[in-house]
Amino acid sequence: MTRLAIGVIAALLSFVPSVAAQDDSAFEPPRLENGRPNFRGIWMNGSISAAFDVETHPDAFGTRGGQSAIVDPPDGTLPYLPGAREVAQDNNLHRERDPVSHCHPHGPPRAMLPPFPMQIVQDGDYVVFLYETEHAVRIIPTDGRPHLDGYSSWSGDSRGRWEGDTFVIDVIGLNGRQWLDQAGNYLDANARVTERLTMIDPDTIEYESTVDDPTVYSEPWTLRVPLRRRPPDVELLEYGCIEGDRDFADVVN
Amino acid sequence: MNPRWVFLCLLTGFGLTWPAYGQEPDLRGIWQVRNTANINLEGHPALDGMEASASHVVDPEDGRIPYLPSAVATRDENYRNRETADPQTLCFQPGVPRATYVPEPFQIFQEPGRVFIVYQHVHAYRIVYTDGREHYDPGIEFYMGDSRGHWEGSTLVVDVRNFKEETWLDGAGNYHSTALRVVERYTPTSTERMVYEATIEDPEVFERPWTIRMELERLPEPESQLLEHECERDETGEWRHPPELGGPG
Repeated sequence: MTRLAIGVIAALLSFVPSVAAQDDSAFEPPRLENGRPNFRGIWMNGSISAAFDVETHPDAFGTRGGQSAIVDPPDGTLPYLPGAREVAQDNNLHRERDPVSHCHPHGPPRAMLPPFPMQIVQDGDYVVFLYETEHAVRIIPTDGRPHLDGYSSWSGDSRGRWEGDTFVIDVIGLNGRQWLDQAGNYLDANARVTERLTMIDPDTIEYESTVDDPTVYSEPWTLRVPLRRRPPDVELLEYGCIEGDRDFADVVN
Repeated sequence: MNPRWVFLCLLTGFGLTWPAYGQEPDLRGIWQVRNTANINLEGHPALDGMEASASHVVDPEDGRIPYLPSAVATRDENYRNRETADPQTLCFQPGVPRATYVPEPFQIFQEPGRVFIVYQHVHAYRIVYTDGREHYDPGIEFYMGDSRGHWEGSTLVVDVRNFKEETWLDGAGNYHSTALRVVERYTPTSTERMVYEATIEDPEVFERPWTIRMELERLPEPESQLLEHECERDETGEWRHPPELGGPG
């Protein structure tokens, strides 16, 4: 009997923090007719320094300083495997390798970081991210279909689901050439990216992304940035890159 | 609602031009042409392993694009140089109407006041505003144009302006200037088919507006999914399409 009472009290105690956590996020999002939170609109990262470097970094030439966007591990440092940070540091010395400077899509999670707007479209079983940069597109089915088999691309293969009012995206099928920021932090083709989007006030979606990549990192890590709603008169404009790149062949030759 | 009021709405077109959400016609889905219009909009004989095709030009009746006499030489030069000069081989965004008949699927999504057309080909997309907002000012130019749409019954009508001149209308060198204006009509004819019409007007290049028409087929979902069509530089620095999506192997 005593043991049962202790069990009940323990259960109640363990319940209290989760109730408190729910109260913290008690914001009631606007909803679509199907009851899902309405994320429609144009959004942009409100913490731009992460686009330069996801870790804490000082002001430097061409780079705005800022605090780490990494929230786990708590020290804000990417948990590179031995030898992997050296690859990132070498990338940083060769920023001409940055795939984005070669007109390629950022891919998740970097796609959410640059100072360019992106539009969230919600239509039936689909959520679509239209990025202004590189006119990259992610079509995210939420109907429970399995991932593509053997697929490899810059933006990966995304499958979405709702956990309460949080939109969760499971991404595999990345080609492994993506950088995480302009500083050369990176992932490889074994990465699995889990993104979580939660509206925390009418004009902010909290974006969290956990990267599980056992061949580059010793443990999964998580970054977090706020996506801010752009004013209603903002429209996505067309982004040309390859079209203006004809002379680059001469440069590299 | 009073039936006479409904009738009046229909009569004036009020209910058709400003339908409430839920009444908007539904063009959602993954669509693709089954033709060779991307190679040549006009009729052509069998060549280079391509089947002969009738012209997709339905107006003028002779199926020929009504070039101004002064504009024919550029088309002919484009044709001669097409293997290297076609902007599509250089991975440019395909422009309108060509994006529709690139032989790859595209997917339509809808929200109130907006139709989104996402093309697999080089992941170009268009946002078609159907909420009555104005075009951008002339002089702002886009590869994919500036699209404003409205509904006429079950037909989506899109007025596309403000084009750059660096896209072609097909792989045979048919071209346009920045004066191009395209009016597209997307009309569902069954659950699996849609008719696409585009009227092309460009007083710098053509004697008069002309119209193409073709059929679009729906691809089954969830089996079908748009893939990422991303070009890569080859060893000489030129952009190339991925082999699995139509590029050189």
